[in-house]
Amino acid sequence: MKNATLNLRDLVILVADPSPYMCMLANSMLRGFGANKAMDARSSIDAIQILTEQKIDILLLDNLLPPHGGLKLTQAIRRNVNNPNRTVPILLMTSDTRESTIKYARDAGANMVVAKPMSPSSLYDRLSWIAFNPRNFVDAPTYFGPDRRFKIEGFPTGVGRRQGDKAIEVSEETGPTLAQDDIDSLFSSSRV
Amino acid sequence: MSNSNGAREFPVETDFQKKARRPGGVTRNQAVGGAQAQIETLKDEFTDWVKDGLKRLQSAIQLAETHPANATLIEDAFRSSCELRDIGTTMGYELVTFVANLLCEVLDNIRNGADYDKVLIRCHLDALQLARQDSYRNVSPDQVPELCDGLRQAAERSMSVAGRISK
Repeated sequence: MKNATLNLRDLVILVADPSPYMCMLANSMLRGFGANKAMDARSSIDAIQILTEQKIDILLLDNLLPPHGGLKLTQAIRRNVNNPNRTVPILLMTSDTRESTIKYARDAGANMVVAKPMSPSSLYDRLSWIAFNPRNFVDAPTYFGPDRRFKIEGFPTGVGRRQGDKAIEVSEETGPTLAQDDIDSLFSSSRV
Repeated sequence: MSNSNGAREFPVETDFQKKARRPGGVTRNQAVGGAQAQIETLKDEFTDWVKDGLKRLQSAIQLAETHPANATLIEDAFRSSCELRDIGTTMGYELVTFVANLLCEVLDNIRNGADYDKVLIRCHLDALQLARQDSYRNVSPDQVPELCDGLRQAAERSMSVAGRISK
């Protein structure tokens, strides 16, 4: 992984952000990484239209995308059984890095969160992480998306949701915001 | 694999994962260097971006002032200030970023129920007007403490008042 290279050539990348400038910046970074097929959406309505019309390889999605926000769009993509992009990797971009927001992103079905403002290195690292750390998908009555089991939050009976899970104590929410390393740790797939 | 709760777990290898791992890609250093070079070409446009962004923010603030209870208008103003902050940071304009970041916090507080403080918001808009001037382009917040400390204190006082009220 350390010496791995990332090949974004011919990958179809959708950048969904209400700001044309942020789209342009993200596209510039992606071009610098070697991508040549990036497109933009300014609203979740535009994004849904693109996602239903064509296959996308990865979605970079802003948390504040109007009118409903990136988290609602993530849920909509994951819940729609007819969506050809239902399992598309979703990288959520957000300047709101409160732990509750990051957990909500994970529970909505995002593959990873990158803190805004993004730097080229932070974007490259998150894309690499998604490319080189594939996770199983979970299809449950209340959730469809990448396996979220980095922490098992415990159940009254002490029995995990799936075989092999163990109940653990989960600490109270601390601090108003998370650094990118803390965000990453919430998405790293280590079973306990 | 499924369990008694009806959860099914299955492997997914997306096209992104397959294609991104193909040979012929770029290393991290190459990619970051390439991206920085691309961003560098946008720097000349930054002045116009900030000017436009500030104009949009001012319009959003004006609307929000006339209807301070309208959550959508506050949301628009918040989004505009976030945009200014994010662009400023990525492009390396520290003073714009600093002031826009404070304004984001103030507006976020209002989104969460704090009173609309017209004077405080106007101070931030004026500071942003100043920060976007060419003469302040390469100035960092610690070089203008008379501006930044005052704004920070005013914002913090407003937020602590809001915090006391919400408790």
